[in-house]
Amino acid sequence: MNRLKLLVWTRLLWMFLKVNILSPSGPASIGLLYKEAVGKIMTEAQFVEAVGFSNVLPGSEALKLAMFVGFAAGGIPGVFTALLGAILPPTVMMLIVATILERFQHENWIEGFVAGMSPAVAALIVVVSWELFRASSRQKIDRRVVLIAVLSAVGFWFEVPSPVVLLGAGILGVILYGKRSF
Amino acid sequence: MEQLLQLFLLFLKVNLLSTSGPASVGLLYHEVVGSLVTESQFVQAVGLSSVLPGSDALQLAMYIGYAVAGVPGGLVALAASILPPTVIILGITFVLHRIRREAWVSNFVEGLAPAISVLMLFTAWKIFQKGGATDWRGWAIGIVSLIGMMLKVPERLVVVIAAIVGIFLFS
Repeated sequence: MNRLKLLVWTRLLWMFLKVNILSPSGPASIGLLYKEAVGKIMTEAQFVEAVGFSNVLPGSEALKLAMFVGFAAGGIPGVFTALLGAILPPTVMMLIVATILERFQHENWIEGFVAGMSPAVAALIVVVSWELFRASSRQKIDRRVVLIAVLSAVGFWFEVPSPVVLLGAGILGVILYGKRSF
Repeated sequence: MEQLLQLFLLFLKVNLLSTSGPASVGLLYHEVVGSLVTESQFVQAVGLSSVLPGSDALQLAMYIGYAVAGVPGGLVALAASILPPTVIILGITFVLHRIRREAWVSNFVEGLAPAISVLMLFTAWKIFQKGGATDWRGWAIGIVSLIGMMLKVPERLVVVIAAIVGIFLFS
């Protein structure tokens, strides 16, 4: 019995290591995870529910999804196995790269490297922001989404601290969307 | 020690107020640039975390933690980033059926999303402006990158190419 459990955990760990080494980012891992998990560990409906929950709760969505899949496969120990598999690859890689990069920090070419990267990073953020905005207005962009966006823009413009603006937006969401009929 | 505690609380806050990894960039920028890391370090962190495989958000957190306080800083940032989702998931697996009807949680997050998008636009502009490359070279790289990403060129490829082009254009 114990050996069987160990086998489940090892396979789970291996699966998450694989998914996290092969996917460039959290959201990109969903597709890969789908192929690995659906049919073997959980049903399609369970997976869809897990994705839904991961999007709705605060914190990194990829981690939450991994933990949901882990739970379906092996209960609470499964959650921690999934977590370990998900954080190990980025941690090791980042620490290695950070150490290497620190050595080059005062080289001349780093300046050009960063200057070239800045506009691309800005573009990346614009793209992600647009995707997020589109995802947040389910079918069409309705008035409530625009209202929250405009109010937040005003807030940021006048340099209201960003956590305050975000908290306000969330509370506004509770008020505005609360009237939906259930 | 105080610095580590500051890092821990910071990432706890960022992870409670953002719904997904990429969305945390905007908030993180406002919380750390100037006080904990420089503009250039932040750009490097965002760029590298989108280039390296694995969760962007975790890598971003670790890089910033590392820049502030070395390896312990990186680990503290990691711990603070995984704590909120872990606690939430463990909580949810016990009350899964109850929270499904707690509509206000999802309404809160739904209200959060447009605000985060706007915050990210502001952040993108600031990063662009303070990156120092606001002449034609910067605009050219930015616009070409944007078009590339909209045409679904892998983001990490775009970032790497932009950085290499930068070495030649700006050095």
